[in-house]
Amino acid sequence: MVSKKTKKLITFQETIFNLQNYWSNHGCLILQPYDVEVGAGTFHPATTLRSLGPEKWKAAYVQPSRRPSDGRYGENPNRLQHYYQFQVLIKPSPENIKKLFLDSLSSIGIDKNVHDIRFIEDDWESPTLGAAGLGWEVWCDGMEITQFTYFQQMAGVQCSPVSVELTYGLERICMFVQEKSNVFDILWNKDGTLYKDIYKENEKQFSKYNFELANIDYLFNTFESLEKEAKNLLLNKLPLPAYDHSLKASHVFNILDSRGAISTAQRAGYISRIRDLVKEVGLKWLEEKK
Amino acid sequence: MSEFFLELFTEEMPPSLQNNAKIEFLEILKNFLDEKKISYNKLYYSISTPNRLIFYFKDIVEEFEKKTEEIRGPRVDANKESLEGFLKSKNISKKKIFIKKTPKGEFYFYKIPSIKVSTKKILQENMPFLLQRIKWKKSMKWGNYELSWGRPLKSILCLFNGTSLNFVFYHLKSSNKTFINKDDEIKTRTFKNFVSYKNYFKQAGVIVDDRERKLSIKKNLEKISKAKNFNLNINLKLLDEITNIVEKPKVILCSFDKKFLEIPREVIQLTIENHQKFFPISDKKNNLLNYFFSVIDKEDKFGLIKKGNESVVDARLTDAEYFWKKNKSQSMLKYVSKLENVNYFNGLGNYLDKTKRLKNLCSVISDELLISKEKLELASTIAKVDLLFDLVNEFPELQGVLGGYFAESQGFEKEVCLAVSEHYLPSGLNSRTPKNNYSIALSLSDKLDALVGFFGLDLVPTSSKDPYALRRMAIGLIKLIIENKKSFKLKEMIDYSCQLYNNQSINFDRKSVHTNLSIFIIDRLKNYMKEKGIRLDIIESSLIDFDLNNIFVIFTKADRLNKIIKKQVGIDLIENYKRAFNILNSETQLQNEDYKGSADPALFKSNFEKDLFKKIHDIRKNFTSINLENDYDSQLSLLASLKKEVENFFDNVIVNDNDVVIKKNRLELLKMLCNTFDKYFNFEKIEFLNEKAGI
Repeated sequence: MVSKKTKKLITFQETIFNLQNYWSNHGCLILQPYDVEVGAGTFHPATTLRSLGPEKWKAAYVQPSRRPSDGRYGENPNRLQHYYQFQVLIKPSPENIKKLFLDSLSSIGIDKNVHDIRFIEDDWESPTLGAAGLGWEVWCDGMEITQFTYFQQMAGVQCSPVSVELTYGLERICMFVQEKSNVFDILWNKDGTLYKDIYKENEKQFSKYNFELANIDYLFNTFESLEKEAKNLLLNKLPLPAYDHSLKASHVFNILDSRGAISTAQRAGYISRIRDLVKEVGLKWLEEKK
Repeated sequence: MSEFFLELFTEEMPPSLQNNAKIEFLEILKNFLDEKKISYNKLYYSISTPNRLIFYFKDIVEEFEKKTEEIRGPRVDANKESLEGFLKSKNISKKKIFIKKTPKGEFYFYKIPSIKVSTKKILQENMPFLLQRIKWKKSMKWGNYELSWGRPLKSILCLFNGTSLNFVFYHLKSSNKTFINKDDEIKTRTFKNFVSYKNYFKQAGVIVDDRERKLSIKKNLEKISKAKNFNLNINLKLLDEITNIVEKPKVILCSFDKKFLEIPREVIQLTIENHQKFFPISDKKNNLLNYFFSVIDKEDKFGLIKKGNESVVDARLTDAEYFWKKNKSQSMLKYVSKLENVNYFNGLGNYLDKTKRLKNLCSVISDELLISKEKLELASTIAKVDLLFDLVNEFPELQGVLGGYFAESQGFEKEVCLAVSEHYLPSGLNSRTPKNNYSIALSLSDKLDALVGFFGLDLVPTSSKDPYALRRMAIGLIKLIIENKKSFKLKEMIDYSCQLYNNQSINFDRKSVHTNLSIFIIDRLKNYMKEKGIRLDIIESSLIDFDLNNIFVIFTKADRLNKIIKKQVGIDLIENYKRAFNILNSETQLQNEDYKGSADPALFKSNFEKDLFKKIHDIRKNFTSINLENDYDSQLSLLASLKKEVENFFDNVIVNDNDVVIKKNRLELLKMLCNTFDKYFNFEKIEFLNEKAGI
């Protein structure tokens, strides 16, 4: 798809390697995924917590992300309840970040000279993180491949200096570069292992769990316990473990939501409970660092 | 004479911010020049690309004169210190001042001589402050900088008379250079004037003037459509948006698999237009085709962009098709009970509760409209079911419409499907109003239930906030009634709706719901009438005796009067009323007496009184005749036809007779006339604008 010369397919794992190399060469720490279920790469403390405060920070990492209600039992060619994001966070946002980003695309098989790369307004907001930013969805020939955001607020705190966040949708990019119309047909490595060989069964089982079998009472109770634990940790000035518990509570909430157990009216209440925790975590984190 | 040219280079600025800044800053610059009395050519403008905001003025004077000005100093008899202070503050010697008499006494004056000021200098000094004045609807910070702007501002090019106009704005310095490539922000180029700037970019394929860009896109869309025999119906809002997200537009024709045309047309259109910003295409018979236009920002040398665009649409339609197929086979009737799990609003129950209320309201309306109760109840039962279906989750703006499609594919009768499909309409002042009785009934019930519910919870919109879109709801209600020429017993329906809530143990203060909702609906009706161009005094008069059950009649009376008020019949009509009313009014105030409108014919002294009395009687008889009951034009003509009798009366009869009994009887006659007018509506507040006629 790229051009005749570079016909070789870039596999899923190469896409990750290439992005890691590219951003490592540009001074980013290459971190590993956070080991708690999260809905997006933004939730990794390397983004949320590190975007707070005056210190410089440059990091990149892959983050498996879970969105229970997006599951389709592995039957939909474009939807997954578990997928990967590649996340870059740089503070303060560099002057040439747009060029850096565009150049990173050529490392994963997207040549900006032959594709129509567009920056479409997309102001981002995460109610659960008390976060907001201004930026774009980056489109490649009409397909969204990356979120490009200048953080303005995180955990309810005004960001200063401002961080820039790049979130690459790895499956979409690979589908595009490998010209696949089904996410499960993505080539994972050169030996012919496909995405479905690794994840099809997961999608089936987790969809079944998220939509049909998740125990509602158990999860509501768990939410309460997690919140209680997080609050107690905050009282004891331990924002990092408190943050873990907030993330877990957030994931439990997402499962309850996909299970249809949360009414529209209740939703706002739960979201604000998580936001309050995260906000407190942010403040404590800033305090503890001093 | 010089040209002023400013380019603000940013990362991609969203279309709405581009447009605002373009208009607002041009105005700021213009006002500044006007305020300083700096002359310029009236052909000034601002244009933009996603990355460049450009402001252009020409024929600006290079120097302008700051006019002489007399400044008053201290009084002549003031102490010495104040004079010295004045001289010091102006930095002048005593020779420069003179004495002048004023009404307040003798004062020292100083005349500041006129001086030449360089326009460039004054612009240089003021540009940072002027730029600061732009009010962004949304703004952001980036990096370590203090500046807050719509999107990161990277460079400022500012030219005056061929050289750079230098100023500092936060961390940025203006210059005569700009970045030539929007994506690398490395290579720069120096420019001497606007023409060379425009030409340079033209050669690079960039159309910097958004007006030219729009035209170019439009022409290309039209060209291909003509060749292919398409029916091109350009979405102008989309065209404006697209114009502002590309700098070198090319139009390409793309297609998708024909099999997707089985998906509801609205889903395809929304996918193509709203989600992908492409233009859907139909044939001459307005059937949607499996083609679309894409406006791309680059030469598609290898056809890769077209291929990419097509595969995105394909993926999205595959998604939609999956849900469409799944949902349409899910029996709507079986799903009704699951509405219990969907909350309608905290305090107003769930959607199953709402469905039950709708069904009852519909049953009352079906009696009023003489339509099949069974069909309407069926429609109300399944109306909200589509909220449970994935496709509506994906396309929430198509709620109702998709319900209609699902109902159709499950073999419900045509009118049931139509009612489900249209029951959210009209959704605003300019939205289409359903015409079918079943749709009217369901839509009316839906809106009434919502209005009563939210007013019952006292969640009344404020002047600035209307989070539950109750205004739109009320406007919808009004449109349903007026545009379908219907009269509904709204008062009773509001009561019934309260009762239905009550049956579900949701209790409202009925009286306050009634009062507040009435006031709210009157306000919306007022707005609606204003939009229809009805004169304010007519609107006010028509609403004096407001009755919720009479919205259609109230509107029609106002509308008919408005149509004739400037014609002869209207002038006559108002004159008749005003002549009688004015005398009556002043006498009523003087005598403190109340007139009932019961003149005694035995007391008449002249034929003019008798004629007027007889005419009024005739009119009253006609007014109540069955033929004229709903014929407001004729009613108005009838009132205007009093002209001769009224004129004769006032020309020949003196109301203010010495005999108090006769005088009172004449005033009673005039009251009788006014009362007759009241049968149409209260004309007191109608302004008599015809000067020629006078009273």
